[in-house]
Amino acid sequence: MIETPPALAATAGGSLLVLAILAPVAGILLSFALGGRFAERVALGLTPIGLAIAFAIAALVWRSGAPLVYNVAGLPPPLGIALRADGISCVMLAAAALVIAAAAFYARANFATPKGVMEARAPLAFWILVQAVWAALTILFVGGDLFNLYVALELLTFAAVPLVCLSGKPETLVAALRYLMFALFGSVFYLLGAALLYGAYGTLDIVLLAERMRALPAVWLAAGLMTAGLLAKTALFPLHLWLPPAHANAPAAASAVLSGLVVKGSFFLTVRLWFYVLPALPGGAAEAVLGTLGSAAVLFGSVLALRQERLKLLIAYSTLAQIGYLFLIFPLASGAHPWVADGWSGGIMQTLSHAFAKAAMFMSAGLLAESLGHDRIAEFAGAGRAMPATFFALGLGGLSLMGLPPSGGFAAKWLLLRASVAAGQWSWAIVMLAGGLLAAGYVYRILAPALSAGAIVLEAPPQRSREAIALALAIVAAALGFAPQSFFDFLEVGRAAATALR
Amino acid sequence: MTGAATALGSWLLAATLAVPLLFLAACLSARLRSTALALQWLAPVPALAAAILAMGGGPLALDWPALRMSLKLDLPGALILAAASLLWIVVGAATFSGEARKPNERFAVSWLLTMTGNLGVFVAADLLTFYLVYALVSIPAYELIVRDGSPSSRRAGGVYMAFTILGGALLLMAFALLAAGEPRGSLRIDDVMAALPGSPWSDAALALVIAGFGMKMALAPLNGWMPPTYAAAPIPAAAVLSGAAVKAGAIGLIRFLPFGAPLQGWGEALAIIGFVSAFYGVAIGVTQQNPKTVLAYSSISQMGVVAAVIGMALASGDASAPSKVAFYAANHVLAKGALFLAVGVAAATDRHRDRWPLILAAVLALSLAGLPLTGGALAKFALKAPLGYGLAASLANASAAGTALLMLHFVTRLAGTSSGGEETEGPAAIVRFWPAIAIGAIFIPWLLYPAIGNPLNTATVPTVWDGLWPIAIGAALALALRRWGASLPRIAEGDTIVAVETAFNSGFALGGLLERLDARLRQWPAASLSLLTIALLLAAMAAYGG
Repeated sequence: MIETPPALAATAGGSLLVLAILAPVAGILLSFALGGRFAERVALGLTPIGLAIAFAIAALVWRSGAPLVYNVAGLPPPLGIALRADGISCVMLAAAALVIAAAAFYARANFATPKGVMEARAPLAFWILVQAVWAALTILFVGGDLFNLYVALELLTFAAVPLVCLSGKPETLVAALRYLMFALFGSVFYLLGAALLYGAYGTLDIVLLAERMRALPAVWLAAGLMTAGLLAKTALFPLHLWLPPAHANAPAAASAVLSGLVVKGSFFLTVRLWFYVLPALPGGAAEAVLGTLGSAAVLFGSVLALRQERLKLLIAYSTLAQIGYLFLIFPLASGAHPWVADGWSGGIMQTLSHAFAKAAMFMSAGLLAESLGHDRIAEFAGAGRAMPATFFALGLGGLSLMGLPPSGGFAAKWLLLRASVAAGQWSWAIVMLAGGLLAAGYVYRILAPALSAGAIVLEAPPQRSREAIALALAIVAAALGFAPQSFFDFLEVGRAAATALR
Repeated sequence: MTGAATALGSWLLAATLAVPLLFLAACLSARLRSTALALQWLAPVPALAAAILAMGGGPLALDWPALRMSLKLDLPGALILAAASLLWIVVGAATFSGEARKPNERFAVSWLLTMTGNLGVFVAADLLTFYLVYALVSIPAYELIVRDGSPSSRRAGGVYMAFTILGGALLLMAFALLAAGEPRGSLRIDDVMAALPGSPWSDAALALVIAGFGMKMALAPLNGWMPPTYAAAPIPAAAVLSGAAVKAGAIGLIRFLPFGAPLQGWGEALAIIGFVSAFYGVAIGVTQQNPKTVLAYSSISQMGVVAAVIGMALASGDASAPSKVAFYAANHVLAKGALFLAVGVAAATDRHRDRWPLILAAVLALSLAGLPLTGGALAKFALKAPLGYGLAASLANASAAGTALLMLHFVTRLAGTSSGGEETEGPAAIVRFWPAIAIGAIFIPWLLYPAIGNPLNTATVPTVWDGLWPIAIGAALALALRRWGASLPRIAEGDTIVAVETAFNSGFALGGLLERLDARLRQWPAASLSLLTIALLLAAMAAYGG
C-alpha cells in the first residue's frame, strides 16, 4: 500500500464537491427528459440547492482553514482525478451560484414557455444552457487536473456560445460564430500545451505537476500555448474580437452570465496555471507581459467604452477594460514578496466585484432596453426619473467599476495600488488611476443624460421584481467593499502550499 | 475629561456619522422618506454637540477595530465642524421644512448624502473612512449643482465632476503612498502621518496631497471649476457647498500635512500657491458681474489665504497653526454661507423699501476682510502668529485689502440685482430670518474663539487699526473700480476653464484613432496573428525568467 501524501489525501466533506457538480448536471438531464416548461422549473428549483451547496463548501473550508479534497473513485492522483476547493474556489463557487440564480429569476420574463405551447425552442435552450454553464464553471473552480479542466472549458464554451444567438437574428448568429471560432482556436492552443506537459511529466494533476515542475523547453512552450489559449477565451486585449458583439447582442440575462462569469472561468484557469502549476519557474518576465496586456486592455477598453452610442456595447467594452485589471494579479501577486498578499486579495476582489457589478449593469441595461424600446444613450433624457431603481442599480454598479467607495471595486483598486506601490511597479498604479478616470467618464456618460430633465414615454414600466434582482447584485458589489480582513485571509487558503514551492 | 464626559464624547462622535446615516436608511422606506427628508436638518445636531464638547475638553476618539474604522475629533476639526454643522442646520431647515416650493426627493437625498460626507471628513481618523466620506461630500453634490437642468448648469456639473474625479484619483494614489510608508500596516491617519518623514515616498505623497486637496479648494491654477459651479447651483446649495463642503479640502491639508517639524520646500511651495490664489481670486473676481460668481472668486482667494498660512506653518514647523487656520476656515464657513444666502435675500426683497438686508450683507462682506469687532477680525487676528511679521504678514494684509475691494464690488453687484428671478431667490424662511442669520454669521465666531485664545486680546487699539486700514485701502480701490471698472477686460466665468475644456475636447481625437485600431485588431488575420505572437512571447518570457 502506497501512502498518500497529505496534499493529495481526500478530506472529510469532500463529497460536497461532487454534489456541487452533480446538481446542475442532474438538472440538465432532468430538463432534457421532462422538456417544455419543466426545464424552467428544474433550473429555478436548482438555484437554492446550488447556492446552499456552494455556501456549505465555503463554510467547511472557512472552518478548517484548509482546502477540501475529493478523489474520484477513491484513487488519489496520478491514478485518479482529484477535486479540490481552496479559498478562491469557494468564493468563485458562491459568486457563480449567486449570479446564476439572479440571472435565472431575472430571465423568467423573457424565457417562459408561452401558454398553449408544449415546448418552445429558445426557452428550452436557455434553461438547459444556463445549467450547463453553471456545471462547467463548477468543474472549473474545483477541478484539480488540467485535462479535466480542459473538458470543463470546452463545456463552458459550447454552453456559452449558443446563449449569444438565442434570438436567432442574423447578427447574433454572426457574433456567436465569431465567438465559437476564436474560442476553438484557444482550445487547440490549450490542449497542445497540456499534451506537452503530459509528455514531460506523465500527469496533469495540479499538485503533482507543481511538485515535479522544472524549467524545461517543453514547459516554456506549454506555458505560452496554454496561456494564450486561455487569453483568447478571456478576450484579453488584443484577443477581444469576439467579445463586444457577443456580449452586446446576447439577451440581457445571458449577457450578465457571459460578462460576469464566463470570462472569469478561463481567467480562473490562467490563475491556477501560473500560481499553482508553474510557480517553480523562475518568474517575472511572463507575468510582466500579462500585466502589460492587462494594462493595455484597461486603457483601450475604457476609451472605446467612452465612444459607444449604445448602452450594451458600452458595457461590453467596459468588460474588456475590467478584464484588464484582473491580469494585474500576475505581476503583483507572484513570487514571495511582502506585497503579494495585497496583490492577490486585490485581484480576486476585482474578479468578484466585477462579476456582480457587471451582471447588475447588463440586467439593468436589459430592463432599460425593454422599457424604452432602444438603448441609445443620447436618448436617455428623463429616464432616470421614470426608472429610478434601474438607474440606481446602474449607478451602484458603475461605482464599483470606477473604483469609488464603498464598493468591491474600490477595495480591489486600493489593494492593487498598495501592492504596486510596495513593489515599486509604478506603471500599474498609473494605469489603474487612469482607468478609474476613464471609467468615471463612461459611467457619467450613461447617468448624466438620464438624470437630466426630459419627457420620456416608457413602452412598459419595468417589473419591480426584476429591478430588485439587478439592484441586489449591485448592492452585493458595493457591500464587498466592507469585506473584513478574515475574508482576505480566507482567499489565501490553499495558496500557501503553492507559494512555498518557490 | 472625566469618565462620563469621555463616554458622552464617544457617543456623540459615533452619532455624528450614525445619525445622518439613519436618516439615509429611513429614505429607503417609502413611508418614512418624506418625513426623514423634511427633518434632515436635524441630522447635524449630534455633530454640533460633539464639536462643542471637543472644543471645550480635548479631543474625542473612537475605534472600531472590527470595521477597521476609527473616528477622532480634535480642536481644528471641531472648530470647522461646529460652524459647518450650524450652517447645514440653518440652511437645511430653511430649505426643507418650509411649506412652499418643496425641492424634489433626488435633490433632498443628494443634500443628505453631501451633508453626511461633509460632517464625516472632520471626524474620520483612518485613511479609508476619510476617503469614503470625502467621496460622499464630493460626488452627490453633482445633483445639487445641476438642479435646474439647464445646459449651463449641466456644463458646470460636468466640469465639477471632472475635477472631483481627477482630484479623487490623485488622493487615492496619495493615500496608497501614505499607507505604504507605514511599516506596521496601520491605516490610522495619526500613524501614517507619524511614519511619513521616514517614508521613501514622502515627497510624492505630499505633492499628491497638495494637488488633490488644492483642487477641492480651487487653488490657482486648478480653480476653474468653482465659479461656474457656484453660479449654477441654487442658492441653498451654493451656500452649503461654498461654506461647508469646500472645507473638506482645508481639513484634508490640515490632516495630511506633517506639522511640528519644519518642512522646507513643500511649505514654501504651498505658501506661494496660496498667496497667488489669494490675489488671483481678487483680480479675476473684480471683472465679474454675477454676484454669485464674485463670491466664488472670493472663495478662491480665501482658500488661498488658508493654504498660504498652512504652507507657512509647514515651513516653520508650527504645530499650533492648524487650530488657528481652522478658526479662520470656520469663520469663512459662516460668512460665505450667509453671503450666498444674501444673494437670495436680495433677489426676494424690494431694496428701495427695505435697506437693512443690504446693509447687513455689506457688514458681513467686510467681515471677510477683517472688519473690527466682526468674526472676520478674530479670524485675521488668529493668523497673526503663524504668519509672523515678515513678507507673509504684509502679503496677508494686502490680501485683506483685496478682499475688501472684492467684497465692496460684490455689494455693488448685489445692489444692482433685479428682484424677481425664481431661480435666484432663496427659500422664504431665509428671507424672513435674514437679520438673525447675518448677525449670527458675524458674531458667532466670538463664541468659538475662546477655544484658541482670549478674544479680548483682539480688541486693542493697534489691532483695530490693523483691521481698519486694509479696508480703507480696499474702499478706495473700490471707488476707483466703480469709476474705471467698465474698461476692465471681460473674463469668462471660470477663467482658465475655457482653455481646459478645449484641451479636454481635443483629447477626443485619440478616441477616433483607437476606434480605427480596434477595427483593425478585430479582423481575423490580425487576431490570429496576435494569438500566435502572444503564445510565443509568453513561452520566450517563461524561458527567459526575469
